Amino acid sequence: MDFGDGGDICASEDSRLGEPTSTGDAAESDRALVARVEARDAEALGILYDRHSARLLGLAQRIVGDTGEAEEVLQEVFLHVWRAAATYDPARGPVLAWLLVATRSRSIDRVRSRRPAGAGISRSLEGAPEAASREDIEKDAATREWEERCRAAIAELPADQRRALELAYFEGLTQQEIAEATASPLGTVKTRVRLGLMKLRERVATYRKGEGHGA
Amino acid sequence: MAHSDRFEELAALQALGLPSPQEAAELSRHLAEGCSICEELIADYRSAAATLSVEAPPRTPSPELRGKILASLPGTPSLAFRREPSRPVPRAISRRESERGAGWWVAAAAAILAAVLIWDDARIRRQREDLRSRAGQLSAELSSARAEAARRDLRVRVLESDDVKVLYLGGKDPQPSARAKVFWSEKAKTGMILAGNLAALPPDKQYELWVFSEGKPVAAGVFDADPSGRALFESTHLPGLVAAQNFAVTIEPRGGVPQPTGPIVLVGTQS
Repeated sequence: MDFGDGGDICASEDSRLGEPTSTGDAAESDRALVARVEARDAEALGILYDRHSARLLGLAQRIVGDTGEAEEVLQEVFLHVWRAAATYDPARGPVLAWLLVATRSRSIDRVRSRRPAGAGISRSLEGAPEAASREDIEKDAATREWEERCRAAIAELPADQRRALELAYFEGLTQQEIAEATASPLGTVKTRVRLGLMKLRERVATYRKGEGHGA
Repeated sequence: MAHSDRFEELAALQALGLPSPQEAAELSRHLAEGCSICEELIADYRSAAATLSVEAPPRTPSPELRGKILASLPGTPSLAFRREPSRPVPRAISRRESERGAGWWVAAAAAILAAVLIWDDARIRRQREDLRSRAGQLSAELSSARAEAARRDLRVRVLESDDVKVLYLGGKDPQPSARAKVFWSEKAKTGMILAGNLAALPPDKQYELWVFSEGKPVAAGVFDADPSGRALFESTHLPGLVAAQNFAVTIEPRGGVPQPTGPIVLVGTQS
């Protein structure tokens, strides 16, 4: 899919991903909400939570496996947003990407801290909260559109690059562990990771052209 | 150390938390020198990696989590908007039940107090960790700013030096549209090249700068072009600078070679 077809990632996040909420602030961008959070507006944090908690919890759940632990991660992420809203830099990407980076980072820290060095990850999905309801997903068409675009970008990746990225991103494996899991030389793993990220970054950069939407 | 393809590879690894301790230290030193290109790359790669998150299906948080998070925010007086679940109203109890339950209530209150203290202790520890993390981040930003300021000072010293020389380099096949300017000062013993319209090179190649001194090329360092084809390379110890007659740039194997072997893409004549 062409990421430059008028749908830059920031516009998606700010003016379309922003799900209308019960508070009546349908047009308020994520960026504006972060600015409100920085000014110690807890209601703005609540709106961000309503918009993105299901996606963030899905990511944390995928990485840490345990339901309770995933919710702890979510709690840490939103406390981080509360304390560090001022560090959000729109030039670095959309608010959702910022939240996902924070979620992934905390989830991986937990996974790595509980396993012996060099050991793989074994997780149980028992007790996982149910996936967000179909209605929940369908009512947010803009989010679904963003997801489809991301999936298209991922689908364009060569299989070996995608596998290396997934093992690093979701499983928290080290370079050496990825090399062993894919029976590839270490140098090849480094190259695959870099090329894969370069391709995804290229799509994001194309997406972000024309940045300036939102508050 | 000047920005290079090597650091771009480390930036990609860093974005996913993959560098070995040695690689992390190497990148950290480079960032401390103030490489804004790598700082931006790491942030961009992190955002790019976030697109992978769509492979994880969304999950519905437990209903009480929202209220729990909002209730735990420090310095939030108003709780009116919070969606706290309604609590059942306690039924009236008899005196006998009350006396019998008094011990239980004391124990329960003690347990709740202990839980609150433990939770508060954990919260304070988390706050301390966050503050420590923020302090580390600010320290890194300060180091980065200082390094960048030092680099700017260096450039200003060269440009303001009364013996500064400038040489324009023109593009040659295979990159006829490439352009560059070399500024150097013998007093400052420093030179820098500012190039544009450079083509992207394969990962195993780099541009190498040559100083022609007494008619012979002397290797002066390797550099990469950014995605827009621009490059800024500077060195405080360019060899052969005093007797520099000309400069050229060739495409060489990554890391550079002692004598030019690849095609010349930029060359100039001192005016």
